[in-house]
This record gives sequence, C-alpha cells and structure tokens, in this order.
Amino acid sequence: MAKKYTLDELLIITAAREIRDGENVILGVGLPTTAGAMAKALHAPHATLMMESGILDIEPLVPPNHIADAHSCRGFSYATDLFSMFTMTYRGYVDVCFLGVAQVDRFGNINTTVIGDYYKPKMRLPGSGGAPDFLSYAKKTILTMRGGEFVNKLDYFTSPGYLDGGDSRDASGLFPKGSGPVMLLTTKGVFRFDEKTKELLLAKVHPGVSVDDIRKDIPWDLKIAPDLAETDRPTDVEIDFIRRFAPTEAVGRKLMYELAIAHSFNKALARGK
Amino acid sequence: MSVTENKVMTAKEAIGRFVKDGDHLVIGNYTVGTCAALVFEVIRQQRKGLTLYSQSGVFDVEVLVGGGCVDRLVSTYVYRAGGKEGGSAVERAMKAGTIEMEDYTNFQYNARLVAGMHGFSFMQVLEGAMVTDLFNKRSFLGDDKYRVISCPYTGKQILTVPAANPDVCIVHVQRADRFGNAQYWGALGSVAAAALASKRIVVSCEEIVAHDIIQSSPHLTVIPGYRVDAVVEIPFGAHPTEVLGYYNLDRLMYTLFFMSDMNGNGLKAWMDEWVYGCVDRHAYLDHYMAKHGAESLDAIRAKAYYSAPANYGAAYTSCWDNEDRERSMGVTLAEMERILEERGLLNG
Repeated sequence: MAKKYTLDELLIITAAREIRDGENVILGVGLPTTAGAMAKALHAPHATLMMESGILDIEPLVPPNHIADAHSCRGFSYATDLFSMFTMTYRGYVDVCFLGVAQVDRFGNINTTVIGDYYKPKMRLPGSGGAPDFLSYAKKTILTMRGGEFVNKLDYFTSPGYLDGGDSRDASGLFPKGSGPVMLLTTKGVFRFDEKTKELLLAKVHPGVSVDDIRKDIPWDLKIAPDLAETDRPTDVEIDFIRRFAPTEAVGRKLMYELAIAHSFNKALARGK
Repeated sequence: MSVTENKVMTAKEAIGRFVKDGDHLVIGNYTVGTCAALVFEVIRQQRKGLTLYSQSGVFDVEVLVGGGCVDRLVSTYVYRAGGKEGGSAVERAMKAGTIEMEDYTNFQYNARLVAGMHGFSFMQVLEGAMVTDLFNKRSFLGDDKYRVISCPYTGKQILTVPAANPDVCIVHVQRADRFGNAQYWGALGSVAAAALASKRIVVSCEEIVAHDIIQSSPHLTVIPGYRVDAVVEIPFGAHPTEVLGYYNLDRLMYTLFFMSDMNGNGLKAWMDEWVYGCVDRHAYLDHYMAKHGAESLDAIRAKAYYSAPANYGAAYTSCWDNEDRERSMGVTLAEMERILEERGLLNG
C-alpha cells in the first residue's frame, strides 16, 4: 500500500514536479527551496538551482532557511552579486521561478506588499523582494499560496501576472512574449491559466477537497478545466526524500514549532534552568 | 584616509565617531550575516532621525525601528511575525505614522547603490515594474522614486532609479585586516555595492587577520582598505543570524525573537534584555551562554570546509636571478652601472 502523506508534503512534491531536467531555476523563500532540492535530487539532476542573493548551481544538503543560505550546501559553482542575478533574468536565462503570494487576482497578478491602504496598512506584508522582476522576465513562474486570498482587486499590485488578461501582457511590450505565471498551487488545488483569456482555471483538486470548497474562496465565477482531476499522489520515493531531507517541513510549521519549543524546554530543564 | 592607518577600534567608538543623528544609514548585509552587534550599538547610542536602507530588512530593521532610531525606511522586504495575528515594528510604526517607507524591488534597490558606487546619477532598471504599484504608489521620494526616460539609442522607454549614496554603511564580514581590507564570501548579494556607495564605512568582522592573508586571496576582498573608516573585531558579531564558515543561524534565538516581536511590549522586553541589557557583544554572549548554555552556541559553530587555494604565484619575484644577474640583460647591477657610466648616460 502506498504511503500516506501530509498536506505540506503534497504541496512541496507537486511544486517540485514542475521543474524539468536542465532548467535554470530561481528558488524563492519557503516551500520552493525544498521543492527545488527535491527536483535536483530525484528527477532533474541537471537543473541549475540559483538564488537571487547570487549563489548559483547549489545542491542543498539541508533545506535553505532563506534565499541567501549558502550554509545549506557544501560550496556551490558560481558566486555573483544580486545585480547580475537580475540582469541574467532580464536577458532570458531563467526558465522558471517560484514565488509565494498573499493575494492573487483572476489573471495571476499578485500582491505581497500590504493588506489595506498602502500608506496606513491594516497588515504590512514583507513586500516585493525580487518578485516583480522575476515575474516579469522569467520564462515561466510557479505561484504558491498558503493562507493567502483570491480577490477581484488587489490591495496593492506588486508583481505582474497577465495584467487585464487576454493578450494584454504580451501587447504591453514590457515583457518577453509568452512569459508569465503557469501555475498557482494552493492548499486546496492546482490552478492553470486559460490559454486565450489567461484567466485562472482550476486544473486539479487535492484529495479530500471538493470543487465547492474551492469555489467558496473565490469571488468570481471560477472556470474549471474540462479535464479536472485529483492532484497526482506523491510516490513513496518522493515522500521518503522529503522526510529525510526536510523533516521540519514534512510535519508543517505548526507542529514543528510545538515540538521544537518542547524540545528546547526539556533541554533547559536538563541543564537545571 | 590613508591605507596604512590602523583603524581598529571598539564598536562603541566606531559608531560614536561615524554614525550621526539624521544620517542615511545603510545595512551592508543582505539577509545573511547581519551586522547585529553594530546595529545594537547604534540603538544603545540612541541615534535618531535615521533614513535607513536595508534590503531585506528583517532582524536589523525590526530592532532599529523598535529602538526609535528610524524616521524613513528604504527597503524591499520587511518581516511580519506570526501571520494574521502577528505584527512587526515596521507595521506598528507605519500605523502610528512614525515612519515612512519607500518600497523598491531587490534589483531596483541594488541598482540605486550600484549607481552610487560608480558615481553615476541614475541606473536603468527593468521596465516591467512600470505596470505595478511600486511605480504608481510613492512615498517620501515622490517623483524622484523613479523617472522614465527614452533610450538615446533605441528610443525605448526606460525605467530608472536615482543613485543612492548613504552617509554611512555598517557591515559585517568574515575577516579583515587592520587597514580595513574586508573579505566576504558566500551569498554576495549587495554587500559591495552598499559599502562602496557610502561616504563612510564601518566594518565589523569575525576576525582580524594579518595583511598577507588578504594579499594571498584578493578575490575575497569586497571592500578595499582605503575606503574603510573603522574595523571592529566582533566574534559572533552577526548572531543570531549566520556567517558562512563561522556559525549557522541560531534558530532557537531567532524564533524567540520573532515570537517577542509580534507586539510592541514583547519587542521592548526582548530589547531590554538583549540590546540595552548587554553593554557590548561580550556581555551579550555571556548572557546568551548563561541563559541557553554554551552548548547552544557550540551546536551552531561551523565545521571547516576550505576553499581550494587559488595559486597567485609567478615565475619569479625579482628581476635578478640566483647569480644576481638581471634576467633579460644578463648583467649584474655593478656591471650595469659601469656600462651606464661608460656610455655617458649618467648625469649629476
């Protein structure tokens, strides 16, 4: 019988499967770093993994903490500066990048900056980081959203997806033709973009989730792919890899904190504090 | 400043001499190796009215804003602790109207420093951002946040950002010599640009090394000594963030910090304990070991993985061979002088 898996494992593995062998991949903070490491280890050994901080061709041995984590590897092949990382993206050398999002609209435009008014925020979120420039110039972008929301109008337009939909992105003349987001991965399912309208299209639902569960998060009439299917289940090899490589991510943030705090507390007790 | 001057001093003296109220202060480090000890000293000396540049303004920005040092912030990425229920010093200050923030993308922020570093007045950045609210919503820089020009060669509309030349950069590196030649390796980010764009540079390092160590590995030097005003040796100077080759991120300490940072009182208590309550980094580390055990520090110390040495050798280091003859002319110095005399080529 196939192994059971956590939601976090499903998300990481689903994202990792988007990376093809030989691609140049920009890894964003969080889930993508683990997904990239899995792809490199299991099915894309010739992918070149890189981070905007200027570390290229990395082979992480432990999950990177962030996008400048050279501690996660035993050396790497090319050390450059941030300026060059973005100009190489601008010149078209980045195949795929991964970005986490807080708000997304129906054409894959994203907000990672603020909830509420920009100048008097209800919630000030991290901000743009490298996202606007990567989403502009990487050939394709994988968006991930955990705890974010679908909105009709973004509170702040941080990074360009397909603008007003249709051919508006290509027609603007500002972006490489055919570039843009190709997938949005959420805790409930996988979305693609309609080829013509560039509108989000529900393509896969995670096991145990219904289409109605997903519809109720979405403030417009969601389009469903004609070949809608359940998200492909992770293989045992993939699950084993994630548990060995990134055990704290396999269990999820909440449980990780609970266990880690209990562990520190016990260590302190043992020291007699 | 002369390259031969000894610039070694304490953090207290360096910050006291080179960081002034109202300065534009740039944090040289990007995400890793945050110059935490120097940042804490800026807070303890109660600098006010700073315009703070921090590219990935996580730990450093939170404590500087929490310490009331900052009026204006230029950044690309700030921290928010604890999801929807959480918060951050930046968010609280923005809600209270005590700071203004200007958002840039990572590339744009870096490009402003690169322009400043090279003495240019602006830098071309990537035009896709023109459709975003980064372009449309501006804070204290107003019209000068971005300007659009037309390329004189292609006619294309080009997005530009103005150069930044902060008054002072504080930055932590792995090692430096006493003249200020600063070596940094790992994720290079914007470290060199932030330092070299600035008018004054304060370097802290894990260790001060002999000048010949620097000379044998110039590819690692990111800031040349002649630009540096102060060098401070501070082991664990970036803790709880990490320094490649020295120590890893202290996850326990980092987690405890961000749990405290979720509200203003929590951050204040944390800073009372770790910033104001510790007179310098020695005191901080003593307090850390008393509280969390020396073994917690040992657990994050790096095990060595050395870079292969680059061979900077040459065939010879003197024009004179083993017999003291000049290599191309085959004469000794005395013979050379005699010939010069004979030919009537010597004057005076």
